Amino acid sequence: MTHSKLVNVLWIVLMLVTLVNAVVAESGSPGLLLTLIVAVVIGFKGRMVVDHFMELKSAHPLIRISMQVYFFVIPGMFLLFYLFPEQIAELTKLR
Amino acid sequence: MNEAVLKPDNEIILDEAPLPEAAVGTNRVPGNKAIWVGIFSEMSEFAMMFLIIFLAKVHNPEVFEVGPTQLNTLAGTINTLILLSSSFFVARAMIAIRQNRRQDCATWLWLAILAGCSYLLTKYWEFEWLAERGFEIETNVFFGAFYYTTFNHFLHVGWGSFAILWVLLRLKSGAYTPEEHDGLEAVATYWHMIDLAWIVIFPLLYVWR
Repeated sequence: MTHSKLVNVLWIVLMLVTLVNAVVAESGSPGLLLTLIVAVVIGFKGRMVVDHFMELKSAHPLIRISMQVYFFVIPGMFLLFYLFPEQIAELTKLR
Repeated sequence: MNEAVLKPDNEIILDEAPLPEAAVGTNRVPGNKAIWVGIFSEMSEFAMMFLIIFLAKVHNPEVFEVGPTQLNTLAGTINTLILLSSSFFVARAMIAIRQNRRQDCATWLWLAILAGCSYLLTKYWEFEWLAERGFEIETNVFFGAFYYTTFNHFLHVGWGSFAILWVLLRLKSGAYTPEEHDGLEAVATYWHMIDLAWIVIFPLLYVWR
């Protein structure tokens, strides 16, 4: 696949994923499933933009890895804060 | 030369719009080093905002449970589609300049500016919509976080749009060639960073409960 075709296809895919996310926002009930969907969507969209729109696949490893890690850490934080809210609240309470 | 080229492992390479030969697979810095100092600073700033929102949520679960339902999801979704499209337009502009298709490059950049302006207008309308319903920065901690984060992002889209206009004028003046377009690439990379921040902000504030 050529780069321009890949970018075209990716644009359509990202738009569809966004619409699914919006439907989930309107109709989905809060819970672990919603958190998982949110985390996966952020990770997928972020890494697709980093690799193919930003073209970091050919960039300095430090730049590419840093940007990729960002989109592992942030989705991970959604899960962490969903699974352990009381513990984190207790740890970060101002005394 | 517009044929697809696949490496043995089927890795996609930029056949139609090749990156500088010497740079592919090496330590290429897209744009320039200065823009990456800016991008990493901005990504860190947004990461701090996200962390604060996460912490505010666990300390105020009730307002963060209700908050997303009080926002205008349609406006948030439209702006997500607009920003993703703007990133796509900028990516196509980069492909066009590498193929020495200056007019196409200019068209893609105009579309990106149009998308940036559309985002700003939609966001302004959304702020008005919320204000009419009495949701302001002092309403509660959720709306404090919402206004601070989204207005900060709003400013980024504003000056990012001006930056695209600047490189468009530079393109028109003949400053960029298929071989030398670092300034254009720097602004393109910065614009993608603005899109990346919104990719987190939209689900964090509008979707996640």
